[in-house]
Amino acid sequence: MIPQYYEFYCPVKILSGLKALSNLPYEMGLLGTHKALIVTDQGVVGAGLIKLVESVFEGSQCEIGAVFDQTPPDSSIQVVREVAKLFTDEGCDCFVAVGGGSSMDTAKCANMMVTEGTDDLMNLQGVERLKKPVKPFIAVPTTAGTGSEVTVAAVIYDEKTKVKMGFTSYRLLPNVAILDPKMTVTMPPKITAATAMDALTHAVEAYYCLQKNPVSDAFAVAAIKLIVDNVIACVENGKDETARLAMANGALLAGISFSNSMVGVVHALAHACGGVCRVPHGVANGILLPWGMENNLEKAGETIAELAPLLGAAASGSPMDEARAAIQAVREIGARLKDLCGFPTTLREAGVAEGSLEAVAKAAINDGTITLNPEDVTYEVALEILRKAY
Amino acid sequence: MKQGHGVQKLSMSYRSKRAVVSTSLVTSGVAFELVSKHSPELKAEIADWEDGRVFSLGVLPDGPSISLKKEGDRIRYLGKGYKDPKLKLLFKNIDCAHLLMTGKMSSDAAFAQHRTILHGNIVDAMQTSRAMAIVQSYLLPGSVLNKSMKRAPKMTRAQRLLKARIMATLGIAILANIRK
Repeated sequence: MIPQYYEFYCPVKILSGLKALSNLPYEMGLLGTHKALIVTDQGVVGAGLIKLVESVFEGSQCEIGAVFDQTPPDSSIQVVREVAKLFTDEGCDCFVAVGGGSSMDTAKCANMMVTEGTDDLMNLQGVERLKKPVKPFIAVPTTAGTGSEVTVAAVIYDEKTKVKMGFTSYRLLPNVAILDPKMTVTMPPKITAATAMDALTHAVEAYYCLQKNPVSDAFAVAAIKLIVDNVIACVENGKDETARLAMANGALLAGISFSNSMVGVVHALAHACGGVCRVPHGVANGILLPWGMENNLEKAGETIAELAPLLGAAASGSPMDEARAAIQAVREIGARLKDLCGFPTTLREAGVAEGSLEAVAKAAINDGTITLNPEDVTYEVALEILRKAY
Repeated sequence: MKQGHGVQKLSMSYRSKRAVVSTSLVTSGVAFELVSKHSPELKAEIADWEDGRVFSLGVLPDGPSISLKKEGDRIRYLGKGYKDPKLKLLFKNIDCAHLLMTGKMSSDAAFAQHRTILHGNIVDAMQTSRAMAIVQSYLLPGSVLNKSMKRAPKMTRAQRLLKARIMATLGIAILANIRK
């Protein structure tokens, strides 16, 4: 069914496959730039991936102006200021984020600071506050993943005010996303599993939440198929570059999907688990996904049922039966990942204290993603889901 | 095409939409104040808000707008216009506002369809959205609430009596605030 009205936008140029990273300097040239600021983290450096990035500049007319490798797991305004200052001080003209969601969000926010000429992003919070085109930005994901290489949003934390700041703008989309299989082969099994479940949650929620549209649906379906077909292979054998590239594509397609149709209660609860109990985002999503789908059975059961064959569930009777089969299939993926790499399947296993659940529920109902969940989510409903997932 | 061409003279259709939206916004603002004086649920919902928080609803680019402020355990309607708000909930244009204000679209649908945008912090916006839903439950008939909300609240007898009281006094309250 076509929605009454929808919007879809994804102008990101995607490079995927063998030696994709080698095209980085060429793409910088097409953007009229020649001096990159690499934004990354210590994990990526330790995995030897920045050396790969440096090597592709050999023989090119572009250079690396500076490397910022101190991005923390949750980006902060202080870090963003340091990156913005480095960009300006070194005379860089292109942001290149190499890493996961945190490096991407840091680069996006630093780009806003540099473009708007401010070190205070408070007044830019919200939707479409940017009035000028930002500096060129190339994203090289090393996880599969957050999909941040193709999303319109960025979130950072202000330590002083203890406020999480969210920014949404079409201008935050990177110019180019580069998926090179060599950039994800070093991910350990548990992180592979967690980031895969994050991507799966993006695609599943994007398919049944209120902002769904036929274009985002097409991307969600393709994403779910790639993720379900390849996640186990990636966890069992991280060096399988074919499976790794397929997963990276699945995560990117899921990112395009949810950037244009948003997510729902699973993400609201996962964000809150991350904020209150420091549960990694992909772990929280993986644990909460089947419970969030169950919460939406009454309002979106028929839509969820459409995902059953993609999730590996056998066809079985009424739409509600098929929806329940789809949910069970997600649980089975989680159980398989638990067997393979110890991926948690309950909040208790993820280290959440039972006494924290009320604080998590309180935070979750203030998350914007609740708005597009088909079912109404009050504090009591959020708490009930958390207790079931515990 | 003429240089700098724009619509200089507003049509009757545009002006009537604008009048409907402006009246609806003022009604919403006055109702917010009235409900906040009497409703324990709304008082509980805004209890955690910082005192002095100003929020606005309006229509881009320069359409009708109103502002409200939290004072103590209540919300005060400040009047038309943006009064230095911390948060703005904005309609992209008069048509978007008209769809919502005339009950053709719920606020969830308006958000899902990109008809509204937010300037400010998302936590503040979610709190404001919940508060507005409480106000709506006192303003609109059950049949409308059932269509416009994901789950319309089940009102107690005390709440229904309060709703009747609010509806009885709303007209006078609007007249008293019309010039603000």
